Amino acid sequence: MRPFNRFVVIASLLLFLYLPTAVSALAVSEVEESLLCYACPGEPLNIDRCGGGDKMRAVIKQMIAAGKTKQEILDYFEAQFGEEILTIPPKRGFNLVAYYAPYAVFLLGILAAFLFVRKWVASGEKKSLAENRLDDKVLLSDEVQKKIDSEIEKLDEEE
Amino acid sequence: MVTIGNLSVFIAFVVSVLACAFILVGLMKNDIRFIESARRSIHGAAVITSLATVALVYLFFTGNFQVEYVASYSDRALPAFYKLTSFWAGQKGSLLFWAWTLSLFASIVAYRTRKETQSRATSYIYLVLAGTLVLFLFLLSTVSNPFDLLSFVPEDGQGLNPMLQNPGMIWHPPTLFLGYIGFTVPFAYAIAALITGKLDAAWLKKTRTWTIISWIFLTIGIILGGQWAYVELGWGGYWAWDPVENASFIPWLVATAFLHTAIIQERRNIMRVWNMVLIVLTFLLCIFGTYLVRSGVLQSVHDFGATGLGGYFLAFLIIVFLASLYLIVESYGELSTDHTIESFLSREATFLFNNVVLLAVAFSTTFGTIFPLISELFTGKKITVGQPFFNQVNTPLFLFLLLLTGICPLIGWRKASASNLRKNFLAPSLIAAAGTALLFALGLRGGYPLTSFGFSLFVLVTIFNEFRGGTRARMKLTGESAFKALPMLIYKMRRRYGGYFVHLGVVLIIIGITGSSAYKIEKKATLLKGESMKIGNYELHYDNFGEFEDRNRYVYTANLAVFKDGREAGTISPERRYYINAKQPTTEVSIRSTLVEDLYVTMPGVSRDGQITLSVTVNPLLVWIWIGSLIMVLGGLLAIIPYQKKRLA
Repeated sequence: MRPFNRFVVIASLLLFLYLPTAVSALAVSEVEESLLCYACPGEPLNIDRCGGGDKMRAVIKQMIAAGKTKQEILDYFEAQFGEEILTIPPKRGFNLVAYYAPYAVFLLGILAAFLFVRKWVASGEKKSLAENRLDDKVLLSDEVQKKIDSEIEKLDEEE
Repeated sequence: MVTIGNLSVFIAFVVSVLACAFILVGLMKNDIRFIESARRSIHGAAVITSLATVALVYLFFTGNFQVEYVASYSDRALPAFYKLTSFWAGQKGSLLFWAWTLSLFASIVAYRTRKETQSRATSYIYLVLAGTLVLFLFLLSTVSNPFDLLSFVPEDGQGLNPMLQNPGMIWHPPTLFLGYIGFTVPFAYAIAALITGKLDAAWLKKTRTWTIISWIFLTIGIILGGQWAYVELGWGGYWAWDPVENASFIPWLVATAFLHTAIIQERRNIMRVWNMVLIVLTFLLCIFGTYLVRSGVLQSVHDFGATGLGGYFLAFLIIVFLASLYLIVESYGELSTDHTIESFLSREATFLFNNVVLLAVAFSTTFGTIFPLISELFTGKKITVGQPFFNQVNTPLFLFLLLLTGICPLIGWRKASASNLRKNFLAPSLIAAAGTALLFALGLRGGYPLTSFGFSLFVLVTIFNEFRGGTRARMKLTGESAFKALPMLIYKMRRRYGGYFVHLGVVLIIIGITGSSAYKIEKKATLLKGESMKIGNYELHYDNFGEFEDRNRYVYTANLAVFKDGREAGTISPERRYYINAKQPTTEVSIRSTLVEDLYVTMPGVSRDGQITLSVTVNPLLVWIWIGSLIMVLGGLLAIIPYQKKRLA
């Protein structure tokens, strides 16, 4: 290895071998998942491992040690970086669209499916009435009907 | 080899353009000879693209660092194993992989339809496949050429991103790509059906295997991505709702909806329009995922940044969308059949509701993924929504979907009677209610987790009943023993029971997700040699510390003895690695996995005197995610084993 490369590697190693300090664990991770790293746009803090993220984690740790609640810590970061720093946007203003649009679409979908099925059922009933008028309905016992159904099913499977 | 690579990509592009030209001329002149030429051109494009692929692999293995792509994603110390994965580590290689696979798929289709070239539908299938291939080969020969050379020859390459040096990364990207690319085939058949007006279920039957195989590959790709994140990223989770993860999950959801309603069209010849919409949507979403990854419009943990390709993909998306929309609207009259469903209580109706939920999850995931763009457009602020948001919005929808997974297969085709419902649902409902009450009595809390376990139990009992009922019926019919009747039943009716296995896999995955997210315990601690830490029922005792150099990295490892409930339960050895060429530190996770829970340990900090910082997580039931995934894939494979054609005596 060239002397310069060796120097770079050793210098990086020294940086990498930092002295860790004790962490008050659970609360930090609880807060982490609600924040993005300010230095890596779009990257959740609980996944991020960069220096910027470390600074944020250090601040969170200090605030937890000072007795701040999760919401107070999130408010602090929101005040510093804007609501863009949060992974779960506050339920206000335009953000409400993000929360309710999926359910609105779901309900509309269910309504549409309901209306379609109702229409198809009605059209099926009409057809069945018409068929009944033309021919005498053949009445089958439950057992025979069951056997026919299972045979049809088998044929479908082996199609 | 660089020249061969460059030439191959360019010639393959020209040949695929020629294929399109032949088809268009053949269609205009109504001359089958041109279609035959197009078919041969498609085979030719596959051979030439394969040559380009071999050339790039060769350049990686011989370490030709003058090739910019090889220098960016490999180095001399990289194990041969990972030199292969470097192929798709970057954008240019992954595009070549995509083009190569698509060319092979197109060639397979061309071979299988070699006796059908007189059909106009075949010409349109070729046109869609060759046309899509033209896009990728055009990008490869112009703006994203993996054979571009540097103006100098570096001594060594920059190395592969350490995060990608994991066995999971060998299969994750290619399987995902195979899934994405595979859906081009059913899409091509659908477009051909729309243009030619042959709108019955024939196109669905012909592409059933392609659809299921693509779905299986997409499933494997997504699972391997989650598994890689779990063992490599070290944050204790497997799914972060990152835009690129979502980009693979969204087409999977729509494809799953399509798989269900395709069955209805095959059996009842209804929902023709809906199936066309779903397959077009699946294909568009596959391309949309590619666009998201390469456009740089969204920030993601693993995107390629702004590559300059976004515009091309967007243009392609718009063209395909408008053309498909036009064809569907134009054929609407022929597509819409005289729909009849006997009852709301029929499998047809419940499948439709299942589709609504799948699409609602797809919508909410898409909406959340692109919400930063929407919010920026309307408010000027780029609001990113993350994991907690997606969990909050999607969980109720997933629970509903889980319930339907149990209900749908129990309701018969056409019309279910009240007695049928009572017979099928009473026992599963009672067992699920009793099971949930028991879990509550055992101390489990939380509305969502308890509902999830309750619904899971319900679905498990319904699946068990299906197997039990089928086996009994077969025993009665054939006189076979249960040990023979069960496998014979599964094999003889593999399409149906394959589906049940897939559902079983889904339920196990949901149990794993519920346990590991609702009851997970996390703790961090800093230890000196000889010290211990406690988490849940575990105690970890820090025994010793080691450091050594291994090929392209320095490795720091701590050995910890694990005690569970006071009894020795093995050792665990998390690592901290420093990759020399990449100048990047990583954490290597150490996992003690059992059917009950995972003990997940990472070492985010080490000091020279051997003091370590540990991040420890206990993930209950997590292993069931991987077990369920395996069952899902096996169920899918079972469903595509072909049935032997019956011969006349």
